[in-house]
Amino acid sequence: MDAAKDLVVGIADIKVGKSPDSIRTSLGSCIAVCLYDSERKIGGMLHLMLAHVPADVSDENVKKAKFADTGIPELIRQLNRTYGVKPSDVTAKIFGGAKVLKNVMHNIGYDNEVAVREILKQNGIRIMVARTGGDKGYNIRFELENGKVKCQVFGEEPKEY
Amino acid sequence: MAKRILVVDDAPIIRLMVKDILQYNGYEVCGEGANGKEAVEKYKELKPDLVTLDIIMPEMDGIEALKEILAYDSAARVVMVTAIDQRESLIKAIRIGATDYIVKPFENERVISAVKKALSES
Amino acid sequence: MSDKVKLSRAVELISKLSIDKASQVFSKLIKSGARIELEKAYVADISEATAKIAADNNEVVGVYVDIVGDIPLKFLFYVDVPGSLVLSDLIMRRAVGTTKQLDELAKSAVQEIGNILASAVSNVFAADFQVSIKPTPPIVVHDYLGTVFEEYLMEVAVDKDEIMIIESTFFVVKDNIKSFMFILPVHGSEKILNYIVDPAGGGK
Repeated sequence: MDAAKDLVVGIADIKVGKSPDSIRTSLGSCIAVCLYDSERKIGGMLHLMLAHVPADVSDENVKKAKFADTGIPELIRQLNRTYGVKPSDVTAKIFGGAKVLKNVMHNIGYDNEVAVREILKQNGIRIMVARTGGDKGYNIRFELENGKVKCQVFGEEPKEY
Repeated sequence: MAKRILVVDDAPIIRLMVKDILQYNGYEVCGEGANGKEAVEKYKELKPDLVTLDIIMPEMDGIEALKEILAYDSAARVVMVTAIDQRESLIKAIRIGATDYIVKPFENERVISAVKKALSES
Repeated sequence: MSDKVKLSRAVELISKLSIDKASQVFSKLIKSGARIELEKAYVADISEATAKIAADNNEVVGVYVDIVGDIPLKFLFYVDVPGSLVLSDLIMRRAVGTTKQLDELAKSAVQEIGNILASAVSNVFAADFQVSIKPTPPIVVHDYLGTVFEEYLMEVAVDKDEIMIIESTFFVVKDNIKSFMFILPVHGSEKILNYIVDPAGGGK
């Protein structure tokens, strides 16, 4: 059996893996989309920054994982390419979307969540857990052994979802 | 009677430090402000003998507050206490009418000598 | 000389001057020797840079300062919580150990360090390169380091996948505290940085 990999995802990035790997990240206004195939114990995490690719930028020139509208399809594509997993095989858990900086007028985190929900729905993927919002950061660890996500919001006790 | 000083800075720690220095040297701190708007309001309310005034502050910066205080009272004594160590900023403040300009981090003695000079004490 | 090389030299020069000045001012503020342990300017992929930071995810007190003017920059200073308590005592000239919890005064200490160091960086530009830049009011945060760093990069990372980063680490020798300072040129600043180092050859 392969040694468990501890994968860390930065902003605008995707990591996929299989049991017993774990994938972790920390979040502010960004949202992490965790997709899991519970039968084959395979999963992936997308750490996205914003909801939509700006109108004046063509899709080819962006880091796909930066935006929900290009990132979610790209996560699905990587799971398919690496492990043969299809959208119908997975469910989703989403985290983050906080408003950490009080002086910023626009609630990017909220917009991100709205876009994520819409795009997952378009791809027929059910959201099992959504732990989002607030004004503090998130620390999450996605365990591919069982699909559970350990999530600790700053200042709160850690919880498992 | 002790001279009354209004201390204005957006950082509570700086207000506390300046207050400690002034009180230790026999001055009375009659009020505090956390931004330029409070500086002007409290100046009008308290009519202090002197104001210490930061430049970079939210709501209204120190240069705007300096202008408004001097428009209200052309004899106001205002000592700028700021981390901006730039010729342009210093000249602007002095031209508008600041009595002195102290750069952070400051030595306690610098604060006291600027206050004494502004209050025309020997 | 290619544009990329010119840019690197401009950023290297400016980063050295800024970091040197900031460390001097920091030492003066805390009345204790602060050694520069790290001083570098580099181009980083936004995902790799943030993954590296998120890997050791401590709790920190951080301060953001937007520097505005001719060469807009984004400034970040952060320190872990025990370090922030010590820095608060050093600034206040109190015995180290006096501040026992992260109260408003201790957060204010970190906020003011950010203000003073960001101002020091701005002052270098004004004095050495005759450009007009100054800081805006600092914003202090207490959160996971990964979160603090991610929010810091957000604006600059929106339309770029690789960003210029100026990074330094200050080590307060006597009290064994590490603190971290970052400067990011905001879009358009790189061209101007280019120009001010080599006005004859630079500027497009």
